[in-house]
Amino acid sequence: MKFKSHAIWTAVLASLACSAQAQGAADSIFSLSGFGTAGIVGTSQDGAQYVIPGQIRGADKSWSGEVDSKLGVQLGARFNSMFSATVQVLSKQDGRGSFKPQAEWAFAKLQATPGLSFRLGRMGAPLFAVSDFRDVGYANTWLRPPIDVYGQVPISHFDGVDVNWQTSLGGKTITLQALGGRSSSYVEGTKVEIDSMLGLNATVELVDGLNLRLGHVTGKLTVKSASLAQLVGVLRQTPFASVGNELDAHDKRASFSGAGLNYDQGNWLVLAEYTKRNTKSFVPDTTGWYATLGYRVGKFTPYVTLSRLKTDSSNVHNTVPAGLVLGGLPLGALVDGTTAAQSTPQKTAALGVRWDAWRNIAVKAQWDHIKTTGAGQFHDAQPGFANQRVNVYSLAVDFVF
Amino acid sequence: MTDKFTAILLAALLATVGTAQAQVAVVVGAKSATASMTADQVAGIFLGKSNTLPGGAAAVAADLPESAAVREQFYSKVTGKSSAQVKAAWSRLVFSGKATPPKELGGSADVKSFVAAHPDAIGYIEKSAVDASVKVVLNVD
Repeated sequence: MKFKSHAIWTAVLASLACSAQAQGAADSIFSLSGFGTAGIVGTSQDGAQYVIPGQIRGADKSWSGEVDSKLGVQLGARFNSMFSATVQVLSKQDGRGSFKPQAEWAFAKLQATPGLSFRLGRMGAPLFAVSDFRDVGYANTWLRPPIDVYGQVPISHFDGVDVNWQTSLGGKTITLQALGGRSSSYVEGTKVEIDSMLGLNATVELVDGLNLRLGHVTGKLTVKSASLAQLVGVLRQTPFASVGNELDAHDKRASFSGAGLNYDQGNWLVLAEYTKRNTKSFVPDTTGWYATLGYRVGKFTPYVTLSRLKTDSSNVHNTVPAGLVLGGLPLGALVDGTTAAQSTPQKTAALGVRWDAWRNIAVKAQWDHIKTTGAGQFHDAQPGFANQRVNVYSLAVDFVF
Repeated sequence: MTDKFTAILLAALLATVGTAQAQVAVVVGAKSATASMTADQVAGIFLGKSNTLPGGAAAVAADLPESAAVREQFYSKVTGKSSAQVKAAWSRLVFSGKATPPKELGGSADVKSFVAAHPDAIGYIEKSAVDASVKVVLNVD
């Protein structure tokens, strides 16, 4: 693993050196671009931390610059009209609390015809409407994608292949994408893998400026948690083995489906997504949605977002008697505790503004009012932090180059 | 007398407006297979929504520098979007590895020689700079 990341860095640095040398030439095959965000966030409440789900450090009444701040550098190489390659290295707070730069994308692309392309390597996992550029603040109107939806699957890339087909029908663009591969990442310090990942995505322009997106991804989910494995192991030795099997997250079927609308014409801006997560494990079934309405006034775009994350099913029917203690483990309570920790329902109303301050810099401010059930999506909640109303204040400067 | 004066004033005003907003011409090379294009087709290429010319070939688009007044005018008239909106749209495509933005050239002369040399190239220049080396496929007023 260490060696691998070292090798990637060497490759990136070597390519950068080449590109710097080549920049003198008019028709360089390399292009270098980048993006970043400097952001701070603070809340009205101590006792739990506001994070982008998956992170392990966030904000409470003490402000944090670690939630939204990030820096990405992307190197593109266009060898000819058919073959190209892209490497994107991104530094942000990952699921282990580290800002160590990682290869976010690294793929080769074959443009077979103007409308048909194939990619091989590490690419953005197209689970959401803005999953490919969720970290590029400048590309989005919000300060960050609504976590009530985007927090459901804290996975940003996969390793595999995809095929993209784009065509125009009566002047309207239709894009289809099919993908296959696997994904591995850390979520709150725990390794989460999705194998046998298969997905389909369709984007259709309905009328000028109005796009509909439909997506569905399936896979086999594995959560590499030692404490979960121990609990499942003990339950399987008891008459409550079925409870253990329901909790277990080893090669369990999981799927994520989403429908999204995007309207961007003239001064009005509408963004909405409705998504569903389903698994056959202790990771609960959820529904998440948001709707954003924005209106451009010159260089300012004020916007309002309503969103909700709901737990549809814990997927575990706990039949273990409440008082049962086995091998020193209070089994019934442990099962309840494990499923409860995964259930993170909350509702959010947010108000924000994007200011296009300079030609490649946007400044944003956003106020979120979150009503949690239990601790909601807040991290490291202390006893007593339940069913709260929390105000979250965020400021960010986004740039691209 | 007053009517005549008003008419002159109006004509003068219109003339001023006319010169302040130079006309923009969307051009391809004189030998290009493309004869004419609609504003939607041009907007599709310059916003990265489509990469094909009407004939089916992959378009190679050329931009003017961000400092050029013609650029702002071209985008607002053809795509209906501001520079910031266009930049945000391209950053969505670039940072998802889906497309490469138009090649930014130094000025109208560079755009003319670029489209003249590449059969599938498309660019835009102020109308007054049009000469025999290029073919106008769309006039933007």
